[in-house]
Amino acid sequence: MRSFAEYNPIAVTLYFILVTGVTMFVSDPIFTAVSFLGAVLFTLMRGGEGQLKRHIFSLILFFITALVNPLVSHNGVTVLFFINDNPITLEAVIYGCFNALMIVTVLYWFSAFSGIMDSDKLLYVFGAFSPKVALVLSMALRYIPLFSERQKRVRSAQTAVGLYKDGNVPDRVRGGVRVFSIMTTWALEKGIVTADSMSARGYGQGRRSRFTPFRFYFCDFLLIIISVIATAVSVWLTADHKFVFYPALQFPSVTVTNLLGYAAYGTLVLFPVINDLKEEIRWRYLRSKI
Amino acid sequence: MEILKVEDLSFCYPGEKEPVLKDISFSVAEGEFLCLSGATGCGKSTLLRLLKKELSPKGDRSGRILISGENIDDLDSAEKIGFVMQSPDEQIVTDTVWHELAFGLENIGMKREKIALRIAEIASYFGMSAWYDKKTSELSGGQKQMLNLAAVMAMSPDILILDEPTSQLDPIAASEFISTVKKLNRELSLTVIITEHRLEEVIPVSDRIMIMKDRGIAHLGSPRDIVSRVGDSPEILASMPSAAQLYHAVDGEGQCPLDVREGKRFIETGFRADHTALTSEKYTHSEEKALEFKQVFFRYAKETQDVLDSLSLTVYSGEAYFILGGNGSGKTTALGAASGLLKPYSGSIRVFEKKLKEYKNNSLYSGCLALLPQEVETLFLSNTVREELIDAYEEAKMLPIDVDTLLDKHPYDLSGGEKQLIALAKVLSQKPRILLLDEPTKGIDAVSKQRLAEVLRLLKKNGITVVAVTHDVDFAAMCADRCAMFFRGRVVAENTVREFFSDNSFYTTPINRMTRGYYSGAVTVSDCVELCRLNGVRDGAAV
Amino acid sequence: MTVIKSKPLREIFKILIPFILIPFSVVIGAIISPERSYLYVSLAVTLLSLLLFISGFDRKQTGTRRMVISAVMTALCVIGRFIPVFKPITAITVITGVYIGGESGFLVGAVSAFISNFFSGQGPWTPFQMLGWGIIGLLSGMLSRPLKKNRWLIVTFGTVMGMLYSFIMDVWTVLWGGGFSAELYLAAIVTAIPHTVIYSVSNMIFLIILAKPFGEKLERIKLKYGI
Repeated sequence: MRSFAEYNPIAVTLYFILVTGVTMFVSDPIFTAVSFLGAVLFTLMRGGEGQLKRHIFSLILFFITALVNPLVSHNGVTVLFFINDNPITLEAVIYGCFNALMIVTVLYWFSAFSGIMDSDKLLYVFGAFSPKVALVLSMALRYIPLFSERQKRVRSAQTAVGLYKDGNVPDRVRGGVRVFSIMTTWALEKGIVTADSMSARGYGQGRRSRFTPFRFYFCDFLLIIISVIATAVSVWLTADHKFVFYPALQFPSVTVTNLLGYAAYGTLVLFPVINDLKEEIRWRYLRSKI
Repeated sequence: MEILKVEDLSFCYPGEKEPVLKDISFSVAEGEFLCLSGATGCGKSTLLRLLKKELSPKGDRSGRILISGENIDDLDSAEKIGFVMQSPDEQIVTDTVWHELAFGLENIGMKREKIALRIAEIASYFGMSAWYDKKTSELSGGQKQMLNLAAVMAMSPDILILDEPTSQLDPIAASEFISTVKKLNRELSLTVIITEHRLEEVIPVSDRIMIMKDRGIAHLGSPRDIVSRVGDSPEILASMPSAAQLYHAVDGEGQCPLDVREGKRFIETGFRADHTALTSEKYTHSEEKALEFKQVFFRYAKETQDVLDSLSLTVYSGEAYFILGGNGSGKTTALGAASGLLKPYSGSIRVFEKKLKEYKNNSLYSGCLALLPQEVETLFLSNTVREELIDAYEEAKMLPIDVDTLLDKHPYDLSGGEKQLIALAKVLSQKPRILLLDEPTKGIDAVSKQRLAEVLRLLKKNGITVVAVTHDVDFAAMCADRCAMFFRGRVVAENTVREFFSDNSFYTTPINRMTRGYYSGAVTVSDCVELCRLNGVRDGAAV
Repeated sequence: MTVIKSKPLREIFKILIPFILIPFSVVIGAIISPERSYLYVSLAVTLLSLLLFISGFDRKQTGTRRMVISAVMTALCVIGRFIPVFKPITAITVITGVYIGGESGFLVGAVSAFISNFFSGQGPWTPFQMLGWGIIGLLSGMLSRPLKKNRWLIVTFGTVMGMLYSFIMDVWTVLWGGGFSAELYLAAIVTAIPHTVIYSVSNMIFLIILAKPFGEKLERIKLKYGI
């Protein structure tokens, strides 16, 4: 067994697509709330730096998006008060909150996803459907630190031959352009060496195979199966449960079948948290024996 | 058994009238270590590229190239022939070490399980397991070049071609690289064809040497044989080991020495030692301080270690001061600090007795101080040499090359040595009184090195102070007035050049090692020649 | 696609499809279901057309050197910012498209968008940005012949493309905010005016400064190394 981040990246990607897909596509506050809970719990559990900033950002974003809707949308029958003769309605406020929650939730999931997927994993997923784009991506990722380093060296070399003499803004821009231009020539000319090095090692001659450090284990298949089934079941069982915001709020009562559907989605969004908790406990136990 | 056979090969680049290669024929046996040498522009790189189908330049080719008896055109040579080039950085394709190792194997469509096994083998053989998961950008230059070699070897080629593989490496990484290649050659019976600027390391491990000249093969044979025959062409001799240069300079006869051990025997059995030292004038310097460091501390980031650790040194006006030392000893950092690019957190740096801070608005860089960076390409902005030299034509005219023939070329199309000199001209157009050089001999051939030494002598004559950072002890011995040894961010030894190298046991020139305990104070070939002449041939010795 | 014989026509169709399909699906979605579904339909279409483009490239033979140059240009897009904050993605994508070809232009635009979002944050907008910049690159490649002739034509084209790009992205911001309305869109555009102006101006400056030297550099590389 592994922590959620160690699952096969394709399985992880599919999981994220399905979870965020349901959050975005299904217009149902219960789904959004459940998904929000899962996303926040998972983020808290993974910890890491910049956590607090992330939560504060989400809070601010939530309030801003929640506020915008009632200000511009005057649908709805329950008027709360007027601003500049424009009615602010309860329905619009509630819809705004719901929509804001959805956005915040999706962003939580995205940030959790980017946190898990390092460049190796992304390239693996990319390579699965387009090896060529994956290779360009891999080369670009290799060039970025190389060029940044180069840019620094060009900048020092140019400073020492008297660039940036005046120190004012046009001089700085001119200097920046010069540095960038020199670096571009360098990058393009040396890029040919990379191309030669690729050809010398047989690139473009025949059918490429693919080597990755990732494998599919049984639990990866399990994750894929769980994700697909849970998504299908939850969407299917709740299909008759429709929330209506405009013109007036209508919250139909939740049937037992609906409840099962929400439970299925709940299991899905909580999967990473449960999995990692289990791993943590197991690891503590194992470590206690060392 | 012959693994490679070249028959009457001629080659002409499109648009050129004269061919670069003409009627070249030779063959290489399996498991042979062949070293290819010749002046810059003699066509050795073209020849190497013609041997590797994927890299063959476009142009008119005649003659045949046979690999294991098969014509190269009918053959997929990606697997059979490995090719390693100069630059450690640009040859790397992907962003991680493991992916780089797997890259070639993926290209030939090898099965996943086999790739896993092969790269495990290669990583173990090259001792790379510890950095298997690293990003390629985090490796050192030496590690990068080793990775390039490993990535090529992963495809288990029959022939390995190396085009100046160590020219961008420091001496320690370079010698490690060459010994790894030799190990592959010995343990796997791998056929190796190599070109190099520095032959000191390569000649002793080569089976045969091929010297190219005038578009063809001038000499081909065993190292000893060839080295004793190149006395008549100074540009080829310049790249030879010091012992061989000495042998030719004193018109030696008999067996030509190739390394320090043989050189020592050659001197001691051939020449008397009545005068053990050269009479040299006592070194005097001017009183004006051109550059002064006083207890300078510097680190790149708060959490890291000090790179300059209470560094103090003084360079006097008009002298050539060379800083030597291993990687990470703070040499280049000191140069950065001296040129005001890096700001120390404590201590003071003065240029011509004025604090760096007092040079307002970068006035330091006009008429006072100039820095020639390690990568001279960082100075080239234009599409032609002519445009590059707009403000520096006067300086360029002074250089020992014919600038006018280069004017219409693109700076990137110049040879390493030419680039170096053009960049130097640009830097000199700032009319500096003190010139800082960062690894000026990196990647240039022996002849260019001599030219550069000439330029530095000329500059000194014009009263310009030179401060250089280098790994190249031979070059330092040739040009310096005083040398300093850096270790862990400070100067551990400082002396005039002869005394400096005579006091060192390891970090010194091959000539000094050869004459150790026999003559004293000999550091360059010409020192030794002078001493030999002074003492005369030992009675009955065959010199 | 193979039904259409003429290559330029095929290219035009390739671009028209996402351009027509996305607004079309948004409208249809809006008619059929009043809530957010049009947004998602458009997201699905975007993803699909990205997939189509990319898999199309994958089957084509691209020279190794062309691929390396695409990677180089992509890396330059990501790190090249000498006017703080604003990246020259549009400018470099246009230049790549014009001088190296539409295919490389698309690749550079799309991959740059993807990579630079690693620094500024991935989100559901990533596919839109990828497609947006990708298409700018592709269009530049198709119009390369006239654009190459005149520097100011490239500058104008690039600047207009950059502005169009931000206007279209604003539509999406509005959709995301809860539903499309003209007022909201106008509000979004108005609040974004300073941003759009700086962006367009910096884009124009990039192009004025970069178009010629980049063109020369790329032409030299093409000539010297036979691309």
